[in-house]
Amino acid sequence: MDSTDLFAMREAFNRDRIMLCFNGPISRSLIEEIGNALRNYLEAEHVQPSAAMDVFGAYIEMTQNIRHYALSHGYAEHEATATVVVAHKEDGRHVVSAGNVVELADGRALVERINALAKLDKAQLKATYKEQLRKPRDANASTGAGLGLIDIARKASEPLVASLRETSSGRGFFSLRAVI
Amino acid sequence: MSNLTIPGSQSTPAINGDWETGVLTMSGDSYPENSFDLFNQVIDWVERFLAQTQKPLTLELHLLYLNTSSVRAVMDVFDLLEEAHQAGHEVAVNWHYDRRNERVAELAEEFLEDCSFPFSIIPHD
Repeated sequence: MDSTDLFAMREAFNRDRIMLCFNGPISRSLIEEIGNALRNYLEAEHVQPSAAMDVFGAYIEMTQNIRHYALSHGYAEHEATATVVVAHKEDGRHVVSAGNVVELADGRALVERINALAKLDKAQLKATYKEQLRKPRDANASTGAGLGLIDIARKASEPLVASLRETSSGRGFFSLRAVI
Repeated sequence: MSNLTIPGSQSTPAINGDWETGVLTMSGDSYPENSFDLFNQVIDWVERFLAQTQKPLTLELHLLYLNTSSVRAVMDVFDLLEEAHQAGHEVAVNWHYDRRNERVAELAEEFLEDCSFPFSIIPHD
């Protein structure tokens, strides 16, 4: 592309009802700043406080998972990139999507895990969540990793959808979509 | 004896532990990237309080959104309280929430399920 066609991008964003999107290296402070913007947008839309908290929570868990993954794999700052999109549906619900580059094997395991979560009903998800919460923590893993995906699945009003696409670098682009 | 004072930020709660009165207050959102850096200080303080005094300990919580790593850390604090309660130490949790946001009450409710000490979920307008 010789010049970025902003008009075409704008048309696409509007068509898909995208209220917020980001693509690039993501830092801790950027997660907070974008999160702030998201909260402000939701408030301006008069979304119920509990629903706004669910959308915000899904966004936080997804982006922090991406940061933790990049950090635990020793990815350089420029490799710790995320693609994040939040859209609002006509029925008032929101779609939170996030993607990142992962090792192929990790990506396949993640997709499998999410497909397994997608089959569970709310009661089963709650039981899985509590079980995961009580699991002894890995001394090296100082995060709530693992719990985040179940938490997103619990907040979602539809089963989570995950996909993995192989990239030219031999890695994969993993993406996760949650309707809240 | 010492007080615990941690100022809040956008992503971390304001925390205040008063040794004299035995009241630990936590207010605000909690979604730091690494919750344990923050909550380890709380866990240390609660452990010391329970070990060094016989005074009752009350948690006054005005917590809102917790990310999952904060949920784990808060659960660790409640586990300490549960252990103390079983050993006869008087402990209690009062979790205050805005009645317009029932999600906070549901979060508190799930913690309550695993606790046998006095645990109140208190709505306010």
